[in-house]
Amino acid sequence: MPDLKVMRTPRSVDIDITNNCNLRCRYCSHFSGPGDVKQDLQKEEWLSFFKELGSINIMDVVLAGGEPFIRADLKELIQGIVKNRMRFSILSNGTLITDDMAKFIYDTGRCNSVQVSIDGAGPETHDVFRGKGCFEKAVKGISFLKKHNVSVAVRVTVNKSNVGELDKIAKLLLEDLELSGFSTNAASFLGLCRENEAQVHLSVEDRTFAMEKLLQLNRKYDDSISASAGPLAEAKMWLDMEQARMENKDSLPGGGFLTACGCVNVRIGVRADGVIVPCPMLSHIELGRIVKDSLMDIWQNHPKMIEMRMRAQIPLSDFDFCAGCDYISYCTGNCTGIAYTRTGKEHQPSPDECLRRFLEEGGKLPVGS
Amino acid sequence: MNPNDTPIGNPLLVLREEFDDWAVLFDPDTGNGFGLNPVSVFVFNHLDGKHTLKDIYVELCENFDEVPQNAEKDIHDFVDVLLKKGYVGFEQDW
Repeated sequence: MPDLKVMRTPRSVDIDITNNCNLRCRYCSHFSGPGDVKQDLQKEEWLSFFKELGSINIMDVVLAGGEPFIRADLKELIQGIVKNRMRFSILSNGTLITDDMAKFIYDTGRCNSVQVSIDGAGPETHDVFRGKGCFEKAVKGISFLKKHNVSVAVRVTVNKSNVGELDKIAKLLLEDLELSGFSTNAASFLGLCRENEAQVHLSVEDRTFAMEKLLQLNRKYDDSISASAGPLAEAKMWLDMEQARMENKDSLPGGGFLTACGCVNVRIGVRADGVIVPCPMLSHIELGRIVKDSLMDIWQNHPKMIEMRMRAQIPLSDFDFCAGCDYISYCTGNCTGIAYTRTGKEHQPSPDECLRRFLEEGGKLPVGS
Repeated sequence: MNPNDTPIGNPLLVLREEFDDWAVLFDPDTGNGFGLNPVSVFVFNHLDGKHTLKDIYVELCENFDEVPQNAEKDIHDFVDVLLKKGYVGFEQDW
């Protein structure tokens, strides 16, 4: 049975610091989802909240949105984080990062990384779903960050239009831009991707190709590519599951229960309107409001947080979807957010990341790995 | 380190108590974390510039069962490690 010990407070808080963005990328996980709240909070409320976070010893804040750099008061907000003894990361489309802002971020000494989305080896691919001129601006943003020695964490969202040029993207990022690594995920059934699924979502064939290609690239580039979701993460996870099945292992860690992804044990989220949620991908679950409600109390005692953690005790054998699956003892049920957007229920395995379904639909696991 | 020294914890550090009185001593300037067991948490919480290492040892014996004989030396060693990391210091008279 999984251990349900809970930390006194979360280590990290994921904050949609704004609901505004200068872009409308067609696979954006934010817009049109429950996190798209059509309003922003004033700086003063965030600063009060950061004071609370410091007082309960939060280590890291992740600023996302929307596009964080669209806020004119971003520097003051970052200063509020620094003043309260925390570190921060920023998730960005990169197009609004200036030389001055990059220098400011470096000078704080507290930035873990600025993540910039790059989805193509050039504008013809990157701009397809993000808009004209975005590639050039994002690369310029990266150059400012690099100039000032800010850690850059590029994220490549693998989608239907760029899956064929993953090797060119890796070359751009690792050779031309000389980054030490990058991460990948995939356009997932969240936010605007739900409306544009046919255009952006990877087919089974695309996923088969992407898994093989990303593993190859990792061999070429000494494991410089990472992933916690999407084809590379699936390739690693599914190969482990297949090996466990072939060796007739009893289970894998967390296997057989809805243990994924476990983020409710280490982090919590806040929407742009100040509503506290278990995770940005579960923004429909409203737990309270910043400053008005105690984050520590919500973290420790809110019935919904307890319920989300108890999810890890639900056996996959409870679900018809998993009946008869050879991988059931090795599977964690995968992303709760995607499970919810696909099925309308949180306490379900995510069908999108189901290995059995992938194989039944003609998908193939990577070979030669 | 002298038994009568009164070291003080670096106020810029964050002592994050997590599970069962275990904690992480977190340095936000470097991002480094240093795991502390419950006894180490007790010691760190007493590094306030007022308690001597001897005082801390005495209070430790009052608050924990079966404190080993070499605990006083262990406290010194632990505080030495913290000192080398810059996690504790001494108040200066200027």
